Amino acid sequence: MGKISYMKLKGSQNLRQRLLLSTLSSTPILIEDIRADATWPGLLPHEVSFLRLLETVSDDCHVEINETGTKLKYKPGIVMGGKHLEHDCGLSRSIGYFLEPLIVLGLFGKKSLSIRLKGITNDSKDPSVDTFRSTTLPLLKRFGVPSEGLELKIESRGVAPKGGGEVILSVPIVHNSLKAVTWTDEGMVKRIRGISFSTRVSVQFENTMIHAARGIFNRLLPDVHIFTDHKAGAQAGNSPGYGISLVAETTSGCFLSVDTTISYARGNDEMDIDEKKELMPPEDVGEQIASLLLGEIEQGGVVDSTHQGLLFILCALCPQDVSKVRVGKLVPYGIETLRNIRDFLGVKFVIKPEPATGTVELKCIGCGLKNLSRKLS
Amino acid sequence: MERPQKSHRSRQSGPSAKKKSDTDKKKRDLTEEKKQNPKAFAFNSTVKAKRLQSRASEKEQRRLHIPTIDRTTGEPAPYVIVVHGPPQVGKSLLIKSLVKHYTKHNIPDVRGPLTIVSGKQRRLQFVECPNDINGMIDAAKFADLALLLIDGSYGFEMETFEFLNILQVHGFPKVMGVLTHLDKFKDVKKLKKTKQRLKHRFWTEIYDGAKLFYLSGLIHGKYVKREIHNLARFISVMKFHPLSWRTTHPYILVDRLEDVTAPDKVSTNKKCDRNVTLYGYLRGCNMKRGTKVHIAGVGDYNVAGVTGLADPCPLPSAAKKKGLRDKEKLFYAPMSGVGDLLYDKDAVYININDHFVQFSKVGDEDDNARKGAERDVGEVLVKSLQNTQYSVDEKLNKSFINFFSQTSNNPGKVMNGDEQDDEDHVKHKNSIEPMEEPDTVGSDEDSDGEDVDDLEEAKNPHENSTTKTFGDSPELKDNQQERARNNIEEEVEFHKGRMRRKAVFGNESKLDDQELQATDDDEEVEDDNSDEESSSYSDSSGEEEEDDLEENVGNASKWKESLVERTISRQNMNLMQLVYGQSESKPNASLREDSDAEESDDEEFFKPKGEENKKLRQGLEGDQVNTEDSSKFTNYASVRDWKDGETVESIRDRFVTGDWSKAARRGKATEVDSENDDDGPVFGEFEDLETGEKHEGDQTGEANEEPDSAAEERRLKKLALRAKFDAQYNGSESPDEADDNSHKGKDNNGQANEGGFLDKLREEAELQRQRNIAELTDLDEATRVDIEGYRTGTYLRLEIHDVPYELIEHFDPCHPILVGGIGFTEENVGYMQARFKRHRWHKKVLKTKDPIIVSIGWRRYQTLPIYAIEDLNGRHRMLKYTPEHMHCLAMFWGPLAPPNTGVVAVQNLSNTQASFRITATAVILEFNHAAKIVKKIKLVGEPCKIYKKTALIKKMFTSDLEVARFEGASIRTVSGIRGQVKKAGKIELGNKPKKNGGQPEDGIARCTFEDKILMSDIVFLRAWTQVDVPCFYNPLTTALQARGETWRGVRTVGELRREYNLRVPDNKDSHYKPIERPLKKFNPVIVPKSLQSALPFRSKPKDTKSKKDGRAVVAEPHERDVHKLLQHLQLIRHNKMKQQKLKKQEKKKKHDTEKAKEEVVNKKRQREERRERYRTQDKLQKKMRRD
Repeated sequence: MGKISYMKLKGSQNLRQRLLLSTLSSTPILIEDIRADATWPGLLPHEVSFLRLLETVSDDCHVEINETGTKLKYKPGIVMGGKHLEHDCGLSRSIGYFLEPLIVLGLFGKKSLSIRLKGITNDSKDPSVDTFRSTTLPLLKRFGVPSEGLELKIESRGVAPKGGGEVILSVPIVHNSLKAVTWTDEGMVKRIRGISFSTRVSVQFENTMIHAARGIFNRLLPDVHIFTDHKAGAQAGNSPGYGISLVAETTSGCFLSVDTTISYARGNDEMDIDEKKELMPPEDVGEQIASLLLGEIEQGGVVDSTHQGLLFILCALCPQDVSKVRVGKLVPYGIETLRNIRDFLGVKFVIKPEPATGTVELKCIGCGLKNLSRKLS
Repeated sequence: MERPQKSHRSRQSGPSAKKKSDTDKKKRDLTEEKKQNPKAFAFNSTVKAKRLQSRASEKEQRRLHIPTIDRTTGEPAPYVIVVHGPPQVGKSLLIKSLVKHYTKHNIPDVRGPLTIVSGKQRRLQFVECPNDINGMIDAAKFADLALLLIDGSYGFEMETFEFLNILQVHGFPKVMGVLTHLDKFKDVKKLKKTKQRLKHRFWTEIYDGAKLFYLSGLIHGKYVKREIHNLARFISVMKFHPLSWRTTHPYILVDRLEDVTAPDKVSTNKKCDRNVTLYGYLRGCNMKRGTKVHIAGVGDYNVAGVTGLADPCPLPSAAKKKGLRDKEKLFYAPMSGVGDLLYDKDAVYININDHFVQFSKVGDEDDNARKGAERDVGEVLVKSLQNTQYSVDEKLNKSFINFFSQTSNNPGKVMNGDEQDDEDHVKHKNSIEPMEEPDTVGSDEDSDGEDVDDLEEAKNPHENSTTKTFGDSPELKDNQQERARNNIEEEVEFHKGRMRRKAVFGNESKLDDQELQATDDDEEVEDDNSDEESSSYSDSSGEEEEDDLEENVGNASKWKESLVERTISRQNMNLMQLVYGQSESKPNASLREDSDAEESDDEEFFKPKGEENKKLRQGLEGDQVNTEDSSKFTNYASVRDWKDGETVESIRDRFVTGDWSKAARRGKATEVDSENDDDGPVFGEFEDLETGEKHEGDQTGEANEEPDSAAEERRLKKLALRAKFDAQYNGSESPDEADDNSHKGKDNNGQANEGGFLDKLREEAELQRQRNIAELTDLDEATRVDIEGYRTGTYLRLEIHDVPYELIEHFDPCHPILVGGIGFTEENVGYMQARFKRHRWHKKVLKTKDPIIVSIGWRRYQTLPIYAIEDLNGRHRMLKYTPEHMHCLAMFWGPLAPPNTGVVAVQNLSNTQASFRITATAVILEFNHAAKIVKKIKLVGEPCKIYKKTALIKKMFTSDLEVARFEGASIRTVSGIRGQVKKAGKIELGNKPKKNGGQPEDGIARCTFEDKILMSDIVFLRAWTQVDVPCFYNPLTTALQARGETWRGVRTVGELRREYNLRVPDNKDSHYKPIERPLKKFNPVIVPKSLQSALPFRSKPKDTKSKKDGRAVVAEPHERDVHKLLQHLQLIRHNKMKQQKLKKQEKKKKHDTEKAKEEVVNKKRQREERRERYRTQDKLQKKMRRD
């Protein structure tokens, strides 16, 4: 036992999830060939930032990266949690990228976690912070996470490329373990809510988006409310942008969400300042996002395609009971998650398509993970 | 003439009548004899009443437990009954007696676990607890019931208490005491008293009313039959509660161990690492394939292979007869060398006793040749019984029949499957599932046959012919019809047992593989399609319809069912394979990923223009997209035009504005579908549960669907009822709890009470349990094992590689081997903090950093703890020794155990030590990677230069850096002057200026004080320094040495000193010496003259001569005479006075006594007078009243 046996992995994909699962199952991992042949080899800034984040929330975790950054050795420590932590997420990915694993990690800490994250709050690659508030947190509650202390507070918004947003995430710890769910009833959509925001642009953008989106929903449902959140001054961050996040709530308490953000691309601004790409006009954004939401609804399932991975991870972390969930089409991210879960936690899912509805039903027996780092009082 | 019998006249009076009336009263429950004053027991203080009430409710609350979900399914593993006791107390005899009672067999000696079938629903496994502390610790970890044998003629021995303490720490399974050697008592009264005494001592240790059995003596060298019978009854009704550690960890009590190392390897190097296989029932919780295990006393190992074997000691088939038939009373004890059959993964070993041989199966087969017609009735009987004995593994039988029915109906697939074909399939299978042992399927047929042959030959020449027929059976199987095969099956039972398994393997793999191939092809085709989703769905739905059709036709035959089942499983497999299948083996995955990486590179190089790239790879084949780590999957390309009316209408029913009934049907359709899926197979029993489940799921999801099906509602209710009944049934064990339950039932109406809450919790747990059972029934065996692991109660064969050869060399069946599964993080090492208490019977306190041996979870290891206590401000202060009667914290390094795990610590493993070996008990509080324990440190310095209130302090710090670290720290001189460290002193010290070549001294601190200090002052700085917990632990490898030997690890400092004859280092300064305080001589006070003159005369120093002038007084003779006379006179007077005083005292005494006498008389008289007076008064009064 003196020597640490590392689990060997290759490639850069799913780094977040691998690190998360490695921490939860306390399996040391060694990842090789991280973008070894790429023009920019090695870990990207946001991945390094995520490793730093892991170091802040956990104790005695050990990260070793080789010179080029193509090889990563990670020995997980104990998740400590704690209050008044702070992390700068950088500008290469949005805060959503960090929130997704962090929210699960926080549940299995020694103390409840409260952390201030700085960076880009909304972008089109990752789920926005609004989506987190409206969809992800209720999803956690399904699994028996205590609702007090589970909160995401948006202090200020910031979009790409310059960011400047700030959120405070607080996650309580689970006292023993999660609760297995049987969650197959998707129900019918009873209301649609949403929030649109704009930073450093006219409030008119929001109104246009909302109007366009409502136009599409009108035929289906009267109960549509989309709130506006126009930020100005310091709260608006450093870059102009606008976006919208929509949530459909069903009669059985499922939340399906989509979001998008329009802002200037990050990074290469010194090159082509003059020929900035045309941004999508708000009208189109509204229509597109509404159509996407309807697409999600059409697919069925108790979560939207973005949250499949999280749902599977939570199912796998349950005690050794059967969890049964239904999702729409399995998305690639979800599939990768299933594989990672199999590798790290040894949990396999029974996956059964249901042709009549075009949904997929998944069953698993949880790995029985308990919050071991919690102190016995 | 018959006289009528005199009728009985019951007694009307006397003691017997009284007794009768008393019992009558008791019967009628009339306790009227003493009516208490009702007011006396009413409450008169509200505060007191409130307090009582709250106390009562608190007591009630304490009795409640959060219900745990029982996750065991199927038959439970045999319950382990550990028989423990000091040596020579009759442990083996008890086991022998019990086995004799259960099975009517005499076993020569008890070695290793002994499994027997004790009832229709119950199997027991007897283990004798070895007599050393390691064995006791291990036994405590797997015991379900501990029988503590106590020598009644001697009394309790320390072993019993040690074992009890170990049990308590590791979860406290059920305990029953058994008193033996009671025939040594000649005196009945003494016996009775001893029993009483021992019983009460036993009760204080466990709980009042703990069961203590008395075995009064031996008859023919066995315990009395009746008493054994009673004991067996108690064991058979015993209920076993789940213990939290065990329900979360799989474990196996090894009842068979084989060395499977290649013989040539052993012959070349006797000490090479061995491969062993361990057999035993899986207990605790389900065990998944990748689980690491800890073998107690050996170490942690990866399991190289797990196989579920047929139960060697199965429960009798469920028939509605009463009791067990004799031949179902199986027992299995491979280590003791009894039991007839040993099943292995690929072989069967038969052990035939000599007198059984003539009645064995052989006779049946060729009895014509051997005996002809004349057969004894008894013989026939015995034979039939033997038949039954072999056919007990009916489970196997069933599966066998199933599979052959499949084969008969798929002739094209199996019948003409020749050797080559077989080979192919096998290979294919291996490539898909590397978990399977490659060598077993292909070639074991022959080898098995040989095995059997050899065995049989060795045993009996009669057997030979039969083995040959067995050898033929494969061919028979292929060629003949099912009917014919059934015949064979009846006859060659045990052989079938093995063949059956093989057949299962072959057929199944073949079929599955073919199907899999087919499906794979399908999938590939589908993948190529751009919209594979819909096509695959349509495909499967077509199959669905087929199934339905078949359903409508009616369950024509079994093979159809199996077909249906198979198609379903195939469908499941499709998606599962897409997700899991290809990346089954690691190297494949990595390869795949490689190619991914390349692709991704390309992608990064040529920046994607739009979403077209994505569109290409939108299939389920996920790994191609996934270079970008993003959970968001928005497929902009496939966005439909939702402005279009038709498209909108297509999802109308997904909204509350749509058709609710249609939407409900959508929900239901899936359910019906799945029901149909499930309907096909045989699981009628579970089916209703399942639908119930589903409905339940909906309910939790805020219950939107109208409960259209009343049936489902009913099922739900049934479940709930059952849960409640179960709860009550469990509760009825003890009467008070039953009361509790009934009380809760009442509460349930209120629904707001905690009873209702508890009921709800119980119901939830029960529902979850049912769900667990129901959800996985429709899976085939292989997938089920994949999903949930091997179930508890399965007989497992674990293969473990590279075990030290000592395990085999020193293997002793009397020392049971425990194999425990390790959970997440439990194989990592780190610091643990435990709440620790020295055992009150351990003689000494424990010293920090003295090694102790702890037993945590499955493990035993030696470690060096640091004791600490938590101060009020949360600081953990190191303690040199454990406190006398208090808990303290212990911090130590070792393999992590989850919080709340019990720990038992011992210091000495030797058996010869007389005193109590349990040193301490503890419970893990938390684990951490950093241990923060501090101890006090006092830095001492002295001033080297003093200014007014500032001083330079030297010798306190060694460097300027250190000074910098302590800036601002408060310091103090011995005389109590407080101060503060300011900065490192920069000046050179007086007599060694720099220019003279002297080095400026380092580590001089400038400090300020509240007052000027003296050069003679000593300055202290009180600080805390961190104590490192030694990173040391040493697993106990007691199974790797001769069992008699005592394991030796790190020795304590004391032991080392004793061994090397070293003295305790003796620092003279540390000695305590008597404090000598010489009287201080003060100089006389000198009052100045000016002051003297001003003083009043009284206070003025006077010029008086002291009496001791030094000059002798010489008296004149006359004076001397006078003096003498005076002295005489004084003496005489003194004497006189003394005598007078004495006389006076005497007189007074006399007077007192007289007075006392008089007093008595006086009192008497006065009383008489008073009485007289009262009497007269009374008379007067009476008279007056009369008048």
